[in-house]
Parts: sequence; C-alpha cells; structure tokens
Amino acid sequence: MNAGPTTPLADPPVTASRRRILARTRLDFLLDALLLVAYTLAYSLGFTGIALHEWLGTGLGVALLVHLTLHWDWVIRTTRKLFSRGSRERFVWLVNLLLLLSMTLCIASGILISEVALPQLGITPPASSFWRQMHGTTATLTLILVPIHAALRWRWIVGVARRSAAWRPGRSR
Amino acid sequence: MKFLRHLTAVVLAVAVIVGLGMLWAHASGGPGRGQAPVHEALLRTEQIKTGVIRVHSGNGFRLADTGDLIRTCEIEAALAAVVITVSVIRRRRRRMRRTAATA
Repeated sequence: MNAGPTTPLADPPVTASRRRILARTRLDFLLDALLLVAYTLAYSLGFTGIALHEWLGTGLGVALLVHLTLHWDWVIRTTRKLFSRGSRERFVWLVNLLLLLSMTLCIASGILISEVALPQLGITPPASSFWRQMHGTTATLTLILVPIHAALRWRWIVGVARRSAAWRPGRSR
Repeated sequence: MKFLRHLTAVVLAVAVIVGLGMLWAHASGGPGRGQAPVHEALLRTEQIKTGVIRVHSGNGFRLADTGDLIRTCEIEAALAAVVITVSVIRRRRRRMRRTAATA
C-alpha cells in the first residue's frame, strides 16, 4: 500500500484518514441530533400521542445503544483517568453516568408499562405502579440531564455545525 | 469487530442497570403492590386490539397541540443556556487569570 508521488490519483494516507475522521464526526453529530430531537418529541406526550411516544421511546433505546457503542472508547478512557484529570472531565463523566442510568431505566420502565406498542405485538406487560412512578421520575431527570449533556459539548457542536455548513461534497476540508 | 466488542459491553452495562432496576422493584414490594388488576390490563389490551379503545397516536402528531412540545423545548433551551453561560464565564475567568499571571 504505497501511495507515494508516483500515484497522483490516489489519496495520500493522511487525507484518507482525515476524511474517515470527518465522516465519523459527521455520523456522531447526526446521531446525537437525532437523539435530541427524538427525546424532545417523545417527552412531549401531548404532541405525539401514546403510540408514537412508545415507538419513539423504543427507537431511542436502539439509538442509545449505538450512541454508547460509538463512544465506548471515551467511557473507558475517561473512567481510567478519572482520578488524575481535572474536575470538568469528572463532572462530564458524572453527568453522563447519571444520564445513562436515568435514560436506561426510563426506556425499560416505558416498555414495562407499554399500553399500545407491546399489546399491538401481542405482548401484555405486567403493569405496575412502581414502573409508572419510575418512568415519570426518570423521564423528568432525563429531561434535565439531556440539555446539560449536550451543552457541556457546545464548542464541539458549534465546530462541527460550522464545518458541515461549509462542507461541499467531493471537497475534503 | 471493535464495534461488536463495544456493543456487547454496552448491552451488558444496560442489562446490569435494568437488572438492578428489577431488583429495586422486587425489593420495594414487587410488581404486585399497587398494580393494576391483571384482568383490567388484559381487557384493555383486548379493547385496543378490537378497536373499542381508540388510541389517538395512530394518527401521528397532533400539530394543533404544540404546547407540550414548546414547553419541552423551552426547558431544554433554558438549561442548555445556563450551562453554556457558566462555561463561557469560567473560560473567560481562566483566560484572564492566565493573562494576569504572564503579565
């Protein structure tokens, strides 16, 4: 794999790797934006109605798994350096952990109290007041944590949005 | 391969959280306490299936009922604005301290 000066049509390795990083950044950005919009819609039960709320919640569960998988490197890296890093990174880690706990319990409890989506599939979940209460509490906690989670990375968001706005297909930046 | 490895770790982490939630539910009296009667739940399911209970959401968004959505957006925007403001102020202070130290 020698992409030297004798092959002018092939991309130099640095550009190809940079392009890969940019593609990955764009994927992260789009998925994060999708998660934010989906959660905002899912929380607005009066706007979506119960069935759409439940299906959006189920979709959010899948998207959350993908989001976590894409950022698992960060989780491992930050957890390892937790006691040797500055307080800000520790705060971000704590917010992310709380968000993981509350969102997971919110989606799981939502599935367990499903009134439309699961019954439509022929599954009758065991409705319980514990899970109803859990769903309400974790949904509110998630509503507080989601904007904090996003805002803690606002510089990255602004940077990627600016680059994406200036990006033209076929032109590597 | 790396993606699959990470996905497995994530699924395990999520399963642990859900498992802990189940334990919590069990410890606080189990699904039996304060539970809606099973017969009622089954009846509701049957009514949804047969169309006796009409669920609005099948029709999608209620575009006229945007109040709920606007309220959610307002809460999110307010919280994000607070975090960004604090972040900007802290950054500015740090920069000023650094400038003062070098001067």
